[in-house]
Amino acid sequence: MSYARMKFYCDEERCIECNGCSVACAEAHELPVGISRRKVVTLNDGIEGKEFSVSVACMHCTDAPCEQVCPVDCFYIREDGIVLHDKEICIGCGYCLYACPFGAPQFPKDGAFGTRGVMDKCTMCAGGPEETNSAKERELYGQDRIAEGKVPACAAMCSTKALIVGDEQEVSKIYRKRVMSRGKGVQSAPYGWSTAYGN
Amino acid sequence: MANTWGYGAMTNSLGDIQNAKAIIIFGANPAVNHPVGFRHFLMAKERNNAQLIVVDPRFTKTAAKADLFAQIRPGTDIPFMYGMLHIIFKNGWHKKDFIDQRVYGMEDVMKEAKKWTPSLTANVTGVSEDLLIQITRAYAKSTPGTLIWAMGLTQHSIGSSNTRMAPILQLALGNMGEEGGGCNILRGHDNVQGATDMCCLSHTLPGYYGLSAGSWKYFAKSWGVDYEWLAGRFKDKKWMSKKGFTLARWYAGVLAGKAGEDKIHNGGTNLKALFVMGNGITSISQQAKVKEALDALDLIVLADPFVNEAAILTDKKDDVFILPAATQFETSGSVTATNRSAQWRSEVVKPMYESKTDHDIMFELAKRLGFYDQFTKGMLIKENKKSFKFPEDATDEIARIIKTIGLTGWTSKRLKKHQENWHLFDQVSMRGIGPMKGEYYGLPWPCWTESHCGSPVLYDVHRPVKEGGMGFRNRFGLVHDGVSQLAGVGIKDAKVKGGYPEITAKNIEKVLGIKLSEDEKKKIGKNWKVDTSGIIAAKCMEFGIAPYGNAKARAKVWTFPDQIPMHREPLHSPREDLVKKYPTYKDKTNHYRVDTRYASVQNKEDWSKKFPINLVTGRLVNLNGAGVENRASKYLAALTPEMFCDINPNLAANHGIRDGDMMWIHSPEGTKIKVKAHYSYSVGEDRVFIPFHFAGFFQGEDRTGNYPEGTKPYAVGESANTVTNYGYDIITQIPETKGGLCRVEKA
Repeated sequence: MSYARMKFYCDEERCIECNGCSVACAEAHELPVGISRRKVVTLNDGIEGKEFSVSVACMHCTDAPCEQVCPVDCFYIREDGIVLHDKEICIGCGYCLYACPFGAPQFPKDGAFGTRGVMDKCTMCAGGPEETNSAKERELYGQDRIAEGKVPACAAMCSTKALIVGDEQEVSKIYRKRVMSRGKGVQSAPYGWSTAYGN
Repeated sequence: MANTWGYGAMTNSLGDIQNAKAIIIFGANPAVNHPVGFRHFLMAKERNNAQLIVVDPRFTKTAAKADLFAQIRPGTDIPFMYGMLHIIFKNGWHKKDFIDQRVYGMEDVMKEAKKWTPSLTANVTGVSEDLLIQITRAYAKSTPGTLIWAMGLTQHSIGSSNTRMAPILQLALGNMGEEGGGCNILRGHDNVQGATDMCCLSHTLPGYYGLSAGSWKYFAKSWGVDYEWLAGRFKDKKWMSKKGFTLARWYAGVLAGKAGEDKIHNGGTNLKALFVMGNGITSISQQAKVKEALDALDLIVLADPFVNEAAILTDKKDDVFILPAATQFETSGSVTATNRSAQWRSEVVKPMYESKTDHDIMFELAKRLGFYDQFTKGMLIKENKKSFKFPEDATDEIARIIKTIGLTGWTSKRLKKHQENWHLFDQVSMRGIGPMKGEYYGLPWPCWTESHCGSPVLYDVHRPVKEGGMGFRNRFGLVHDGVSQLAGVGIKDAKVKGGYPEITAKNIEKVLGIKLSEDEKKKIGKNWKVDTSGIIAAKCMEFGIAPYGNAKARAKVWTFPDQIPMHREPLHSPREDLVKKYPTYKDKTNHYRVDTRYASVQNKEDWSKKFPINLVTGRLVNLNGAGVENRASKYLAALTPEMFCDINPNLAANHGIRDGDMMWIHSPEGTKIKVKAHYSYSVGEDRVFIPFHFAGFFQGEDRTGNYPEGTKPYAVGESANTVTNYGYDIITQIPETKGGLCRVEKA
């Protein structure tokens, strides 16, 4: 048997750049302004026929480049695939930022000659290496919603359910269902909408 | 809307949009203004292959998801829709039997539509003939189609014609009273529908009862107060039936008498005090005038959870009171959603610190003013109680009194039950299951009796009244110009065939073919709107008919200055050549107590010479209304920390404005704002877009020092409404914020 592997997916046909995800993330983890664990990127803004938006955060890669390049080895990958790091080991060197294809790592202090603080990034709302749901975990990494059985704040807030998160099998099942049901008519009573991300 | 078919409200629901095969949006941007509701639009696209058509002056986030997009010149929606109708009638795509049975006056529309050939329409609207034809074909051939609008359609000097034109287009295509069809107006704020229904307005009593002596007497009786006492509260009786000032023009009531100001008709006195609950003061046009008026008042009271920005705008030093009002989380009660559904809301926390709920503020005020007993008596009547429980008894009072829009079924008990059983309702059809079977979520009004299910789709004759069916309302008499106004089609399962008039004590026996008992005759009210005995509603349910009649919708409103909607250029038009051809109205005296200028403004000069750029205002996704509560959130403010102007790079470059430069926007009113230029191709070279959520700066001046310590929001900036132009709708007096002019220059 295989373990669940957690993934994000953003359906760009549904993303409307409402920023619900990024604001929910910042509020949930009480991030300093300027730290964007998640952001919405819009390409070709205002150009007819070409504009689209997508919500991006740490993609929790299988073979995570950040982990590969980290000189102090502060990253660890959970069995469910969530990529986390230990802020007490991190030296804020920024190598992970160079390696990351998505620009996910964030640093609390910036500016040309400012000192950089330790790295901060999306935890998929799974906290960090500290004791689960402890005050210290909360302080350093924000909420640990996964431990509480909750959906990460971003996807929970997503207004159009463009952003899907969860076990990769489930994520692909939801997306597959979306594709398969295109043009097949509305699903209304007596069948009802399935809950959460089923639609 | 109300003048076309009876009610001015969204006819279907957000969920029902999923049933549409085509969606056409005029002057609305749901992806930004209704992001959660927009999911239903996307679902219609995905599941139903619905064509999403957006007609808007700029390429919005909604347009980014559209199949077809037309960048229309502001204020030309009527020509665009006539252009569509021209093509529809020419090709015979209209629904003839529907029009014959259910619409009055369509011939006049057909005659006008003949003039709007694709080439004329293209010239006036700026949309190419090819695109117009493509859009018309896509919309007319894919039925049911739903038509969506919001403030982009209403905020014009011809707004009340715009909102009749859209229903006419839907009537021509037979898209009314259908799942997946309808006119779906998106309400912009929480409980706007409820506030309108309860008449937080100046021209009717709650429930749209009008201001006649009969209506006042009905309310006096229902509130348990003496009519003469009520009348005694006015200067004299004749003022009871006069419309008051509107939010758009209250400032005129203060400034009248000064040079250049409009004359008022207000019982020989100017307005002296202002009591504000909500943020409207800084979200209407003419901010410079609003400031002048605020400064000239004797008293200003602002009840708001945040510092209302009227307090920042004014230079008045004394007698400005800021009352801390509680938020929605600190109180409970029912709110009405855009689709006429009620939803009960529970208190999350008790009012914090010194804040008080809105109703407590009003109760305290009524006590001080000496009419608390009369003010609250209506809540005691139903069960003859000694004391009331708020808001339950207030909700029950509303249910007891408001018959016009069918709130009889909205008892607090039922509304709470719906809230507690959210999970038992289908989100598309709103039908309940299990213990909620047979009811629609939130009992969308009209909900005729305490056991009625609610009406999810207005004017739907395909379902029985007991399942929410009905015809169009018989509101405009029985005959006009010798033509019967009653419908030529009956409601499903009704025992009264075909059309029938609204039910009164006089005609009930004849229409239903029954005999009332002596006891019933004694108890019955004069008509369905004032029959608190419930006899009319009960008999109507028994016979499967809606109490308000089954009539034709009218394309022609014979009491309006334009009987059928006619194009008229905005007061400030960039097309002087078209102003001659499509001039605005004559000036209007005593329009909600204020003389209002139309032709005299439009003809004063060729505005397009000095102010060649169209000014479009609108919302941002992270902010709402005047923006005060959102700009006080650091994360929301961080998304748009500064006031800006979307400007086409070509236009900007011609004025030497670089991306990120500061620029001035000058208005024909002689006012100006200084904002940051943001290059964007979402607007053409002939127009600019500015968001209207900012405040704190006024014509370049930083007024943020006026914020009491610790209350300054994270984001501040110029208010768009400092430069929106003069201009008000001829019927409703809504300001013309979506069709003005401006001039830009580098700051």
